[in-house]
Amino acid sequence: MLTQPSPQAGEGRGSPRPLVTKKFSLTPYLFLTPALLVTVVFILYPIVAVVFYSFTEYDIVTPPKWVGLKNYQQLAQDPTFWRALKNSFIYLIATPTLIALSILLAIIVNRNLRGIHVFRALYYIPAVSGSIAIGITWRWLFDVNGGLVNGFLVPLGLLTEPVQWLAEPAYILPIAILLTVWAGVGYYAVIFLAGLQNIPEELYDAALIDGCNNFQKHWYISLPGLRPQIVFVAVISSLAALKVFDEIYILTNRTGGILDSGVTMVFYLWRQAFRLTHAGYASAIAIVLLVITLVFSMMNVRLLERGVEAD
Amino acid sequence: MKKHTVISLVGLCLIASLMLAACGGAATPQVVKETQIVRETQIVKETQIVKEQVVVTPTPGPDPEAMIEGVEPNAEVALWTFWLSPTFDDYIKSTIARFEEAYPGVKVNWEDHQATFQDDLRNSFAAGNAPDVINLSVGEGWVSEYATKGLLLNLDDQVPQSVKDLYFPGLWQQQLVDGQNYQFPWYQGISVELINTKIYVEQAGLKVEDFPKTVEGLPALCKTIKEKTGTLCDIRLTVNDLLAQMVYEGDVKVISDDGTQFTFDSPEGAAWLQLYVDMVRDGTVDKSALTTTDDRVGLELFTSGKAAFYQTGPNLIREVRANNPGLYGYLAVVPAPVGKSGVVGKGLMGISVKADTQFPMASIALAQFFTNPRSMLEFSKIVAIYPSTPASYEDPFFAAKPVAIEDSAKPVAKDIVSKYADIVPTIPKKADVNEIVRQAVEAALFNNVPAQQALTEAVNKANALIGQ
Repeated sequence: MLTQPSPQAGEGRGSPRPLVTKKFSLTPYLFLTPALLVTVVFILYPIVAVVFYSFTEYDIVTPPKWVGLKNYQQLAQDPTFWRALKNSFIYLIATPTLIALSILLAIIVNRNLRGIHVFRALYYIPAVSGSIAIGITWRWLFDVNGGLVNGFLVPLGLLTEPVQWLAEPAYILPIAILLTVWAGVGYYAVIFLAGLQNIPEELYDAALIDGCNNFQKHWYISLPGLRPQIVFVAVISSLAALKVFDEIYILTNRTGGILDSGVTMVFYLWRQAFRLTHAGYASAIAIVLLVITLVFSMMNVRLLERGVEAD
Repeated sequence: MKKHTVISLVGLCLIASLMLAACGGAATPQVVKETQIVRETQIVKETQIVKEQVVVTPTPGPDPEAMIEGVEPNAEVALWTFWLSPTFDDYIKSTIARFEEAYPGVKVNWEDHQATFQDDLRNSFAAGNAPDVINLSVGEGWVSEYATKGLLLNLDDQVPQSVKDLYFPGLWQQQLVDGQNYQFPWYQGISVELINTKIYVEQAGLKVEDFPKTVEGLPALCKTIKEKTGTLCDIRLTVNDLLAQMVYEGDVKVISDDGTQFTFDSPEGAAWLQLYVDMVRDGTVDKSALTTTDDRVGLELFTSGKAAFYQTGPNLIREVRANNPGLYGYLAVVPAPVGKSGVVGKGLMGISVKADTQFPMASIALAQFFTNPRSMLEFSKIVAIYPSTPASYEDPFFAAKPVAIEDSAKPVAKDIVSKYADIVPTIPKKADVNEIVRQAVEAALFNNVPAQQALTEAVNKANALIGQ
C-alpha cells in the first residue's frame, strides 16, 4: 500500500526523495493466488506437459519414453496429417461466409419492426443449442433413408435416387462447413447488431440526402463502421474453424469420414490420442496446431491494431 | 394396564376372526381394515421367538460359491462394469451382496462406465487408481490390449485347475497373451441375423428360412433387396479389427507363423475384400453403417425399420422392442451366416484383474464369483445372454421351449458357445496395423484401388511398421 511520508523526512539531505514510498503488502498477492493457481494447473501445466509428451512415445497407460524429434519427423511424412491440415485450412472458408451472412442478418434484423425481437431470438437459437444436438439433427437431415434433403430433392426430380450424403467423401467437409455457418450466424449477427446500433443515425440521414441507395448506405457507412467487429469476428471464428471437432465427430459417427475426407487437425489429434492411444504423437499434433493458431492470432491482432490506428 | 390392553387386542382379534369368517372369501375394504388390527397383536413377538430357536441348528459349512482360497481379510476391491447400469443394477447389486456373504469381510465398490469406458480406464491406469476387477470385452480385443502392456494379472498362475474346469475350454483359452490367460470368461452372445419381415418377406418376397448360410451369399441377397425394395443392406465391417474379420470370414492367414511378416494380401485376402468392393460398387449397402466404428449405428438403422436385416446378439432385441415396438412384431431370427473359416464366433465379455492390485485373491474371487455357473444362470434369466460355464446349461431354463423371440437361440446356445474360439493370432502393434488395413480397405471400397493392390500396399506398410 502507498503511504505518505512526513514532510520532514527528506529535509537537509542532498538526494531527492520520492514523495511516496512503496511498502510491500501480501494482500494483493493473496487475491491473485486463486486465479494464478487455476492458470498454472489448468493452462500452464498442461501446455508444458504436452510439449514434453510431444517428444515421447506415450500410450497413456504406461510411462512415456523419450524419443526426441521422432514424432515431428513422422508428422512430416504422415499423409493423413497433411490431409487434416489441408482440411482445417479449407474449413477457414467458413469465416468469410459467416461474416458476410452475419452482417446481412444483422442489417435485416436492425429495424424497428413489430415482432423483430422474436426473429432475433429465433436466429440466436443455434448459438444456445448444444453442438452434439445440432450435429445429430443435421445427420438426420442428410440421412439416406427418409432424410429431409433426399426427401426434398428426389420428388423434385433433382436426384434420381437418394444419396448417401454423409458417406460421400466429397460432401462431408462442405456439409460440416455449412453446419458451422448455420450454427454460428445467429451468434455473430448479435455482435454485428450491437455494432450497427452504435453507428450514429445522422450518418445514414446524410447519406440519404446525398442520394445514396440502401446498398450504398451500408457499403459506405455500415461496413466501415463495423470494422472493429469484423476483425474481432474474423479472429474468433477463424480460430474456431481451425479447431473444429464436434461437427466432424458427430456427422461422421466418429470415423472422420470415408477416406478420412472429413479429418481435421483436432479430429486427427483425438483419433491418435484416444483411439490409437498415441498420446505422444497427438501431443506433437497439438503443438503444431498451437503454433499455427498462435501465428493466426498474431496476424489477426496486427490487423486489429491497424484497423484501430486507421480509425 | 398392559394386561388390559393385551386382553382388548385378543378380543379384537376374536371379533375380527368372526367377521372374517362371516364375510367368507369376499375381499371388501372392511376386511382389509380388520386385517390391519390383527397385525397389531403380539404375533410378531412369537415369530421372533421362532428365530431364536434357529440358533440350535448346526452352523452351515463354507459357502459352496466361495471357491477361491486365501482371500485377504477386510479387502476392499473396486469393480468396473461396461454398460450394465441402470438396466441390470438389481442383478449386479444382488450378486455383490451374495459375494460379500460368501467372502465375509470383503467389500466391493461397483461402478458402471459406458461410452467413455475405455478412456476412463486408460486414464485410471495412468493415474494409478485403476479398478481391481474390470469387465473387458474379449470381442473387441481389450483383454489382449491391456494384458500385452502388463496391466492384467496372469490367471493361469493363480487359479486352481478345479476352477478353470468350470468354463468351456475354448473360452478359457481364448485371447491368450504369450500363452497365458488374463480373463474369466463372462457372458457370451450368439450372433443372429434379425430380419424385418415387413421388408424381407412382404416387400422383397424372400423366405426367412432361405437366408444365406454363408457370408458369400450376402451380395446376391443385397442386390435382390435393393432391386425389389430400394433399401440398402445394413452390414458392418468391424473397422476396429478388420484383420479378425478377414480371419473369420475369409479364412485368411494374416501373419506368418513366426509373427514377423504380414500375409493378408494373399488371394484369400483379396477375395474377401472383393466381396465388399462388389457390394459397394453395386450400391447395395449403406456405406455409413458399413464403415462405422460404432455397432450402434447399424442397430439404430435396423431399429428405425429402414433395413431388411442386421447381425447382432439376441440380447439387443430388447432395444428394438423398447425403441420401435411396432417393428418387434415383424421380427424373425435366423443364425448368422458363417465365414470360410467355419468357426461360428469368439467370446464376448470377460472379467480381468489388475496386475498390481493390493488384493489379488479377493479380486480373483470376485471375478470368479460373477462368472460362476449360478451367477451367469441368473443373468441369463434376465437378458438373452449365454453363460461360459457348461453347468449353467443344465438348468431347465435352457431346455424350456422359447416363448419370446429373444430366447430363440436358447436351446442351441450351449452347442454354439462351446465351439467358440479365438482363431486370430497375436498381432504386433495391432491397433496401428488395423488402422493401415482400414485405410487400404477404404481405398479399395471407395477410391477404385484394386483390392489386391490395396492389400499389398498395406502389407508393405505393416511390415515396415513392425520392423521398426
